[in-house]
Amino acid sequence: MATQAVSDERLAKVGLARRLFQQPEIGAVIGAAVVWLFFAFFAPENWATLNGLARIMDPASTLGIMAIAVALLMIGGEFDLSTGVMTGTTGLVAGLLSTRLGWNLWPAMFVSLLFALAVGYFNGLMRVKTGLPSFIVTLATFFFLRGANVGTTRLVTDQVYVGGIDKAAGFASARAFFNTGITLFGIEWRSAIIWWVVLMIIASWILLRTRYGSWIFAVGGDAEAARKVGVPSARVKIGLFMATAAAAWLVGMMNVVRLRSAVASQGIGQEFIYMIAASIGGCLMTGGYGSVIGASIGAFIFGMAQVGIVFAGWDTDWFYSFLGIMLLVAVLVNNYTRKRATEMSVAAAKSRTEGE
Amino acid sequence: MAEPILQVQNVTKMFGSVIALSDVSARVYPGEVTCLLGDNGAGKSTLIKILCGFHQPTEGDYYFEGQKVSFNSPREALARGIATVYQDLSLIPLMPIWRNFFLGSEPEKRFGPFKAYDVDFAKRTVREEMAKMGIDIRNPDQPVGTLSGGERQSIAISRAVYFGAKVLILDEPTAALGVKQAGIVLHYIVRAKRRGLGVIFITHNPNHAYPVGDRFIILRRGQVLGDYQKDEISQEQLVNLMAGGEDLVKLQQELARLLEEQVEAA
Amino acid sequence: MSRFTKAISLLLVLVGLVSLVACGQQEATEATEAPATEAVEEPQVTQSGLVFGMSVHSNPAEDAFWGVVEKGAQDAAATYGITLKSGGSGDPVEQAQLVENFIADGVDGIFVSLANPDALKDAVTKAVDAGIPVITINSGVDVYKELGALTHIGQTEFVAGQGAGEKFNAAGATKALCVIHEEGNIGLEERCDGLADTFNGDVERFNVATTGVRDVAGTVAAIQNKLIADADVDGILTLNPIIAIAARDAIAAEGGSQKLGTFDLSPDVLAAIEGGEMLFAVDQQQYLQGYLPVVLLYLYNTNLNTVGGGLPVLTGPGFVDQSNAAAVKDLSAQGTR
Repeated sequence: MATQAVSDERLAKVGLARRLFQQPEIGAVIGAAVVWLFFAFFAPENWATLNGLARIMDPASTLGIMAIAVALLMIGGEFDLSTGVMTGTTGLVAGLLSTRLGWNLWPAMFVSLLFALAVGYFNGLMRVKTGLPSFIVTLATFFFLRGANVGTTRLVTDQVYVGGIDKAAGFASARAFFNTGITLFGIEWRSAIIWWVVLMIIASWILLRTRYGSWIFAVGGDAEAARKVGVPSARVKIGLFMATAAAAWLVGMMNVVRLRSAVASQGIGQEFIYMIAASIGGCLMTGGYGSVIGASIGAFIFGMAQVGIVFAGWDTDWFYSFLGIMLLVAVLVNNYTRKRATEMSVAAAKSRTEGE
Repeated sequence: MAEPILQVQNVTKMFGSVIALSDVSARVYPGEVTCLLGDNGAGKSTLIKILCGFHQPTEGDYYFEGQKVSFNSPREALARGIATVYQDLSLIPLMPIWRNFFLGSEPEKRFGPFKAYDVDFAKRTVREEMAKMGIDIRNPDQPVGTLSGGERQSIAISRAVYFGAKVLILDEPTAALGVKQAGIVLHYIVRAKRRGLGVIFITHNPNHAYPVGDRFIILRRGQVLGDYQKDEISQEQLVNLMAGGEDLVKLQQELARLLEEQVEAA
Repeated sequence: MSRFTKAISLLLVLVGLVSLVACGQQEATEATEAPATEAVEEPQVTQSGLVFGMSVHSNPAEDAFWGVVEKGAQDAAATYGITLKSGGSGDPVEQAQLVENFIADGVDGIFVSLANPDALKDAVTKAVDAGIPVITINSGVDVYKELGALTHIGQTEFVAGQGAGEKFNAAGATKALCVIHEEGNIGLEERCDGLADTFNGDVERFNVATTGVRDVAGTVAAIQNKLIADADVDGILTLNPIIAIAARDAIAAEGGSQKLGTFDLSPDVLAAIEGGEMLFAVDQQQYLQGYLPVVLLYLYNTNLNTVGGGLPVLTGPGFVDQSNAAAVKDLSAQGTR
């Protein structure tokens, strides 16, 4: 009994700090603070301003939307390598329909969404039915779409990009809806930021406060065990793939209304950045653990790097080196804090069951 | 004597031309622990898979609560009250205890037009149910992977009991545990039995089975080698039986009967 | 030492390391600027305090052509005491965001390449509205005016393509490939259009964008396969010096005698022309596309001068063939041609 009282005391004292460090986002938060301070030091003018913040949130918003979807998928134990190229394909579909066939942009975007959901469903179905690793299945999709992007565009337009989308009917309203500039305090902010924040709240709520979230964690932690207790593993995974495809569609539409065009090479290579942001945010590559808020913070760190390097006057080449260091640090911190958080618990468990 | 809650009669299971089970009959009574013993390859897991609804018997009948049943999936069996705790426990190490506990049967409450996970209820219930098993879970947010083997078993058992299992099938729960941990699990088995469940305890270790069992069924090569109640067999005899000394045991029992008759006659 | 303290120390060490890297990079930039100043033999250059931003549609660190443009800009910046921030990306979103970052940073001038004018339209308009002078370079000669740019510095691709067509006519070719190595670049398409306009034979556009300049071996293979598949091809026009060398290797591997011409120079291209492996190179003098914008923006900032009289400032086409290859080659080795 004496041991019990002592461990209670110990628990109470370290309670708050321990709980804080148990959060999956802690690595990302620390990383973000470090990066912010870093650039505040090296680029003092313009960094700590509202303008600077708006500039950071510009790339962070679209990256964040994808990072959230990819994080959910990673927590569910899967990878999707076709996410980057899908941001381009969805834009091309909407662009070609509206410029070549003269469709109003809204039905064109809707068809693009159906296409995206179909690709997501295909990815998920292949993964579930064949048992092949999702890495392979989505890599195949990636290659297929990459070629199709250029091939189809060239076939239809003789060029490799679709321009003049702003001439299509419905463009102005689509732009206002998906991604336009909102002026606040004399600075222009992208409305994509609103989408990002709203999706982050919804995704986090689903993950932590609904049963679907439990299913996602379960399916990523141990799909077989989950299935045995009645979790519909296949449906969950297919749903997650459709979610990443839908997110890619959203970002694709945001790009189209911003750039007024769609280019066949859009997004290729970005899929790894999304996964890195999710990893920085606490998502394990092996699945079953992570956070969408953390992934959003990871996206924010990317935005800070992009803007900070310009403000500091460095060559943008250093961006990638910076990213590498950032990723390593964040993942190490995540690893360390998770281990620390569980150490005490194991010791307490042993004393509970064997110390008596 | 009460009615058996679960009964299989003359069950045979074939996989292609391989006979996994041959003419196996067994009865499980509520509030009792029925031990299913046998070495590897004896047919224990096949029988369990039939009982839990994973397989259907090729021949034979399956009765639950007096009614003939045929399950097409483990979920159907679970819905009727037959809960199985597998060796891997179907617990997900990275997830907190309360999520694991309610996985697949999440409690929900209304949140406007949406259904949200009732997290407070889940955490509270987990602490209560585990307390009934004699474990004080101070932090239900702990990932299951940080618990000892014995504690994990107790969660799995406690979960089955909570969700209204009438029959609890435990598939080799002590196999991977040390002596002390195994003892703790046997303790929980007894608690579950005292709550009125019919427990089927599968093991290949007769020394674990004997202290808690009320009934012992030994399988050998897909057939029932013996079906004894506790007062019909001693621990030593049980060990011998499993080691292949069935003839010796039969002889001992015959001799015991003969001696009784002689005493009565004289 | 408690584990927590250890963790904090580890973080501080890492931050320190990254700072060292950054400082080293700063010194490196300053070091490269100093020799440029000395080479021009100017008296002590006073820093004008002006900052210009360059945002182009390909990463200058990874592309030989754009590396020369950046060198031109850096040399001009050193000469005039200007701080230059430069970058580029094949992703139009990133290119546009770079421009917006320059605007937020309060630069005194921006120059961009408009391979995809629609994509950059908003960012450029924003810069112009913010009072920042903008010059377009290399691509976008048709749209620079409506976007409010001061002028365009480059080469009219169509006209240059026409010149190339005439060269192939003189060489007696009957079927020419126009090798496109980049997706989404109208300028490249316009070069092929110009070629088709004056060339008497057939023109076929051949796409190697999947390998492009990033996977040269793949491009060599692709061109080689095309030559095997189509024996009628007797002329090849490439639109980038790296692709030109790939085509040369492909022709050599096949043992063919196809006439090869290219856009843009490099030391290898010049050596090939000198050695008779290539017929000609269309030189748009991309060094000037980096140098001149810096000068013009400087003059605009200090003296409100504009150049061009409403017309683009042409840096090409010049043609390099066997007659002048050797002289130009020495300059190309310095990274300025």
